[in-house]
Amino acid sequence: MELVDQTEPIVETPARPTSHPIETRGMSVHYGSFRAVKDITLFCQERKITALIGPSGCGKSTVLRCFNRLNDLIPTARVDGEVLYHGENIYRDGVDPVEVRRRIGMVFQKPNPFPKSIRENVAWGARINGYRGDLGELVEDALTQAALWAEVKDKLDESGLTLSGGQQQRLCIARAIAIKPEILLMDEPTSALDPLATLRIEELLQDLKEKYTIIIVTHNMQQAARASDFTAFLNMDLDRAGFLVEFGSTEEIFTRPRQKATEDYITGRFG
Amino acid sequence: MTDAKGSGSPPKDVRHHFHDQMAALERSMLGVAETAETMVGMAVEAVTTGNVVLADQVIALDAQIDNTYQAAHDQWIRLVARQSPVASDLRMMSVLLHLNITLERMGDQAVNIAKLTKVVDGLPRSEKIVEALREMGDLVRPMIRTAIHALVRRDIDETRLLPAMDEPLDRLNRNMYREVVACGADDKLLEWATRMMMVSRALERIGDQSVDIGEQVAYLLTGELHEFNDTGSAP
Repeated sequence: MELVDQTEPIVETPARPTSHPIETRGMSVHYGSFRAVKDITLFCQERKITALIGPSGCGKSTVLRCFNRLNDLIPTARVDGEVLYHGENIYRDGVDPVEVRRRIGMVFQKPNPFPKSIRENVAWGARINGYRGDLGELVEDALTQAALWAEVKDKLDESGLTLSGGQQQRLCIARAIAIKPEILLMDEPTSALDPLATLRIEELLQDLKEKYTIIIVTHNMQQAARASDFTAFLNMDLDRAGFLVEFGSTEEIFTRPRQKATEDYITGRFG
Repeated sequence: MTDAKGSGSPPKDVRHHFHDQMAALERSMLGVAETAETMVGMAVEAVTTGNVVLADQVIALDAQIDNTYQAAHDQWIRLVARQSPVASDLRMMSVLLHLNITLERMGDQAVNIAKLTKVVDGLPRSEKIVEALREMGDLVRPMIRTAIHALVRRDIDETRLLPAMDEPLDRLNRNMYREVVACGADDKLLEWATRMMMVSRALERIGDQSVDIGEQVAYLLTGELHEFNDTGSAP
């Protein structure tokens, strides 16, 4: 098989570009005068898991944080190009970033439950968003979806901080789910967990994708291979800006990548 | 949803998605094994009765095995690339790869016998050789079943039956040469008998392949790969 070595990224062009819940077109991000990522065109399929992989500093997390405007919180950050949520640019004037983040939730690298009860951790977001339904039901449903209910149902009033690392991360997933988002962003969600807790989160993702579109940043290539449906490989250019090298089905990326740079990275022959 | 839901205990298998896929691959191999065994039986029947219609049916069945071989190969690559199997999972994946290749070859041997049936159509036959081939067919089919049964039951004792089952098959194959030489006075009969030596050889190979499957099952169960006997290939 011939591997190509080219500067233009290989991206499977979608048949109907706007049918994807979220995509970027020619997106670049600057922090002050430093260009962190450049010209990212990427689309994520509905109810599938898309993994972003690549070496440290290639801008995976920067790309992820653009999907729900978390980069807005960094004063020097500037996003060019488009980030389309169902075809609508979320960086357009007049779009409320809080509403964007309600629909597109985030789970972080380190489990970060509030110093509150397990119940409050899950119910809090829904309550401040004016949820009018049965909060008890909502808590049970979110914890069940996060595969945590059986372990905590008898201690809902205990602090979320009493749980193990893996349980805390599933609590954070329950908290994200409770405000009924459509898309879940996960920034290295298992890097602080032991291998078994990691496998449990990966299995949980397979269940969650029945309801949610998931985008995950991971340093762990085996995790991308095991857990995702699509994989985007980002690399760092000579000017240190991250760019998209190849994007395709995870099966294809891990069995017959088309770009030599992807092959070198995933086989460990990378600089 | 994982079985943590409502059960009050953590899930027993955190990689059940992978394990389900591996089990499905194993099931598809069991289906191929059944087809291969059927083909061997049909091929022996065809060659010993001179039934060329049945021989064509064997050749047609091989397409099924070839299709599954391709699909199983692709699924195997997918699983290894994506799931990084370890320990007994890794050994099982190794067994499945061997099984896929071995069963495909068994199918090919049955096809060889079927083709020889068509080649010798109309030639005179030796009943003694026909009887020997029938006996070989009767010996080899239970070997395939035993090897597969050992896999299904994860039964090390059953795998150890295979070398003894293989011995009479090897003996019949070795004796075949003498029977063929005995046909030397008649050119037409000798032509038929020479082809039958190839049939004998094919059946002997299928026996060895069944022993190979048994060795693989033993490897799966013990983590150690040993040849069961050194009579793997006949002269």
